[in-house]
Amino acid sequence: MLITADQITVTQTAIIKEILDSPLKLNLMELGFMPGKAITLKFSAPMGGPMAFQIDETILALRKNEASLIQVQLP
Amino acid sequence: MDKPTPASVVSTPRIAIIGNPNVGKSTIFNQLTGLNQKIGNYPGVTVDKKVGLMNYKGNSYQIIDLPGTYSLYPNSEDEIIANRVLSQTNQAEKPEFVLMVIDSSQLSRGLFLATQLIDLGLSLAIVLNMSDLATKRNITIKTFEIFKALGVPILSTDARGEKGLDQIRDLIHTRNFSKKGSFIAIDEVVPERLLDEVQSKFDLPNQYQAYQMLRFGRVDKVIPLEGRDWIKSKLESLDFDLSAAQLEETKIRYRKITKIVESAVVKEIPDQKATSGLDGVFLHPVFGYVIFAAILLIIFQAIFAWASVPMDLIDGFFAELSGRVRDVLPAGPISSLISEGIIPGIGGVVIFIPQIAMLFGFLAILEDTGYMSRVVFLMDRWMRPYGLHGKSVVPLISGVACAIPGVMAARNIGNWKEKIITIMVTPLMSCSARLPVYVILIGLVVPDKNIGFINLQALTLLGLYFLGIVGVLGTALLLKNILKTTEKSFLMVELPSYRAPRWWDVILTMYNKSKTFVMEAGKVILAISVILWVLASYGPPSRMDEIRISSEAKLAIATNPEQEEQIQTETSSLLLENSFIGIMGRGIEPVIRPLGYDWKIGIALIASFAAREVFVSTIATIYSIGGDPEDDLTIRQKLNQQIRPNGDKVYNIATAFSLMVFYAFAMQCMSTVAVVYRETKSWKWPLIQTAYMTGLAYLSAFIVYQILS
Repeated sequence: MLITADQITVTQTAIIKEILDSPLKLNLMELGFMPGKAITLKFSAPMGGPMAFQIDETILALRKNEASLIQVQLP
Repeated sequence: MDKPTPASVVSTPRIAIIGNPNVGKSTIFNQLTGLNQKIGNYPGVTVDKKVGLMNYKGNSYQIIDLPGTYSLYPNSEDEIIANRVLSQTNQAEKPEFVLMVIDSSQLSRGLFLATQLIDLGLSLAIVLNMSDLATKRNITIKTFEIFKALGVPILSTDARGEKGLDQIRDLIHTRNFSKKGSFIAIDEVVPERLLDEVQSKFDLPNQYQAYQMLRFGRVDKVIPLEGRDWIKSKLESLDFDLSAAQLEETKIRYRKITKIVESAVVKEIPDQKATSGLDGVFLHPVFGYVIFAAILLIIFQAIFAWASVPMDLIDGFFAELSGRVRDVLPAGPISSLISEGIIPGIGGVVIFIPQIAMLFGFLAILEDTGYMSRVVFLMDRWMRPYGLHGKSVVPLISGVACAIPGVMAARNIGNWKEKIITIMVTPLMSCSARLPVYVILIGLVVPDKNIGFINLQALTLLGLYFLGIVGVLGTALLLKNILKTTEKSFLMVELPSYRAPRWWDVILTMYNKSKTFVMEAGKVILAISVILWVLASYGPPSRMDEIRISSEAKLAIATNPEQEEQIQTETSSLLLENSFIGIMGRGIEPVIRPLGYDWKIGIALIASFAAREVFVSTIATIYSIGGDPEDDLTIRQKLNQQIRPNGDKVYNIATAFSLMVFYAFAMQCMSTVAVVYRETKSWKWPLIQTAYMTGLAYLSAFIVYQILS
């Protein structure tokens, strides 16, 4: 099932399919959000605040807006 | 040990250190250079230029600490600077060697930047840092595999201990850097003809630098306008999609790096428990905020309790120094200028050092332990509706102690609009210098009574702090709707693993921030203090002489020291009233009468324009309060006795509250103006800010007075 990363729930892991087109595409990719990588949602700030994803050994926080640019596949 | 080449003995070799944020790059820089550091500015941006000298085995090396960056894409000022330093054609400025620091637990991201540096054609060596953390996470890295793939020297170290540091020194000493042709072929993504044209137009050494020029040249103001326009028209005429090329480059680069990482990294089961466990508490939707509030409380408690000691010492020292100078130098304008203008002016700068140093000390600890990015994570959602960023929390909170370190801390915010809004609103937070003004006025008009268990005076003080926050949020909202930007706001922040702070780095941060403040803001503050001194000590000569003569006549017939002191305080009061500031105070009386102020308060308003806490001492002089002007009780009694021509008290509830509200909003701090100028690189913002805050203060004080009177 293809969804965007802002829709996954805490502790859920998904595989990045594609980074959607936007001016932030490059920034996301250089941080390590590359297609094929697994991301796990570790924490989510209350009231629609930022989301913290684990990718490899790193935890990276993104806003919901940015997370919605990451298309992922749930296992 | 190899002998250094003779050429280097002549000139000091320059080595730039570069790396991703949070890899311990600055620690290496600090340990290599110690206190031999100089902080300057790069032209046109607020990025600090950190240069230090390393002495090793009889040779000197200039080390440049570049800002932390993930890549060489022009996303922020930091990255523009990193790129500008590394790819500049000016041989006198260009570093001969580059030391790239990579966090061994985040190898692929580090290699992303490292391979870009290789493509730039730089002489490079790699330091794999924090191998202890990698060990803890059961990561083993076969450095030889990386060396085989990249062809540049590579060194494993742990910069948190001293281990490996001598290896880095030796590496620099023996010039063990190497230049490796290229990592990826950039002509796969950009037409070769275009690259060649750019290369010859700007006289660049290789194709990748030509490609960088295509991307940066349009935005880097160091490139002459003609060159920038040339690039723009070239890209347009070829209808070349640069961002598509960048994406392609990124993909190719990552693909190659992934292969290297796969062959070099041996990973057991990753052990993320420690950080995840702590974050379960620190990022908890409820406890996370409770802990954050508790940490803030501890910090402020510490600043108010500890900073007041050195501040009192500094205050006493400069008062003593003034007295000494007055006694030693022959009486006259020079003695008076030094003892009443320059020394208190310098004192007024130095007095801020304890607060600035301590606040930055705490911020450095929070940053270094990794907690700060958790604060950004927690607070971003609550800041955004006001046009602020999660990173705005730090400046705003610092503002409660002092706006100066707050404004200085705003430079971490990447987005221009969010940074400007943060800088504009931070001085509205109730800083510690407002406290003496509040305390005197509250003591004067608010009864020391309890309603239930709440003390009325404490409640009023709390209300004033709350008013500051309302001012911050309201102004931020206003600016959010006024300021226009095409820059997109985003939050992408790494939550690094928790670790113990590196104390040496913390101390260096405290030292460097204080030094920057004294050196840069100090000049403006000193100049304004001297101007204010001139205005307060000189007036129309005939009138001033008259006062002095009559005072001397009175002194001649005084019979005891008490009488003499009485005459002297009255004289200084009269002199102030008739000085240029006094005349200005009378001049603005019609303007401030609707706020409930008389001309004497007008004098205090003008005199405290440079520093709001001066209000208290000016009031003491105007009402000829002898003895210790810092003694709240004497001032309060004296103020309570002030009567208007119609018999009412001058300091009634309406006037006192109107004054408190005025001081809550008015700028009244030259140091802040100077720092805002420094951080925004123009007089536009500090001037708008001062006008806005004074206007807001006037309007609010007017409303308060009219309602209460």
